[in-house]
Amino acid sequence: MTLRTIVSACLVAGAAMMASPGLPGLVGSTMQAAAAAATLGDLSNFRKIVVDTQALVEKGDLATAKTRIKDLETSWDEAEPSLKPRAASDWHVVDKAIDRALAALRASSPTVADCKASLAELLTKMDAASAAS
Amino acid sequence: MLNKVPAATAIFWTIKIMATTVGETGADYLAVHVGLGTALTGAIMAALLIAVLAVQFSADRHRPWLYWLAVVLISIVGTQITDALTDGLEVSLYVSTAAFTVLLALTFGAWYATERTLSIHSIVTTRREAFYWTIILLTFALGTASGDLATEALGLGFEVGVIVFSAMIAAVYVAYRLGANAVLTLWLAYILTRPLGASLGDLLSQARPYGGLGLGTIATSAVFLTVIVLLVATLTLGERRMTARAD
Repeated sequence: MTLRTIVSACLVAGAAMMASPGLPGLVGSTMQAAAAAATLGDLSNFRKIVVDTQALVEKGDLATAKTRIKDLETSWDEAEPSLKPRAASDWHVVDKAIDRALAALRASSPTVADCKASLAELLTKMDAASAAS
Repeated sequence: MLNKVPAATAIFWTIKIMATTVGETGADYLAVHVGLGTALTGAIMAALLIAVLAVQFSADRHRPWLYWLAVVLISIVGTQITDALTDGLEVSLYVSTAAFTVLLALTFGAWYATERTLSIHSIVTTRREAFYWTIILLTFALGTASGDLATEALGLGFEVGVIVFSAMIAAVYVAYRLGANAVLTLWLAYILTRPLGASLGDLLSQARPYGGLGLGTIATSAVFLTVIVLLVATLTLGERRMTARAD
């Protein structure tokens, strides 16, 4: 076997790898069609944590709010393998909104206004992503 | 120097897939639960990997526990590299998948150009060992990127993923049995076991409402680590017996 055949074999294999998600063509296309209409489904467990955190922020208890939203970070990360394939772009929108809410609550001197705004935005994004289509 | 790496037996593939799962769930666990953050976790794991590889390189022969410790750590670090590119630097998965494919091809090319072989049965010099471990790291990085790409672009969840990646590995095995190049099929299977191991890990760890078995990441990692330790212990004992017989 020459070097050239090996390198080209690797490149072909690489190209096949990249195309591979579509290898079972039927499965791929039906899933894509499903993904286009899909949303993230039931997010009520995550929503509840956001609502709890909002209530704590309303009371001005930012320290407890910061602890509560940690539950969201943990459970959201844990559910990633299940939720993300349902609608990857929606997942990223919510994920980014969670990051912003975490950043607001974890700021070195967090403000009630920032926390309120980011949590309200997060709730909007969550509801949009979980709404039945 | 004797061959420093194991042959691709059934036990080899079993440990490899489980090591992959532990790499994925372990990286997640360290980043999320231990709370050290992704940057610090990555640095610690990379330092550990370098230390273990240094011991592996200086070992005079194949030692299963050392080899597989290095593979588990490479699995974690390979996953973290792709995650850092995707989440930290926002590199598109299409770009990272293509880049790792090219890097892998170039490394294979350099390996063949200098050694005139890509065989895993003659990893008998430090230079070949360096090529071998570079390839292993790249296959884990590519496996992570292409697996994530399948999730992102096609909505391939772990339930279908387990079936799809198993079928692809089966196809590679059939090709091998039908006489396809042994070296090529070995490394293709090696790449594909990464997304298979990840899907399998998700199937065990994800909550039941999502279609998983609900074991959680900690229990899944613990179970797989235990099986890895038992299999590696079996390999070590088997090797001792063989060495004793040879003496």
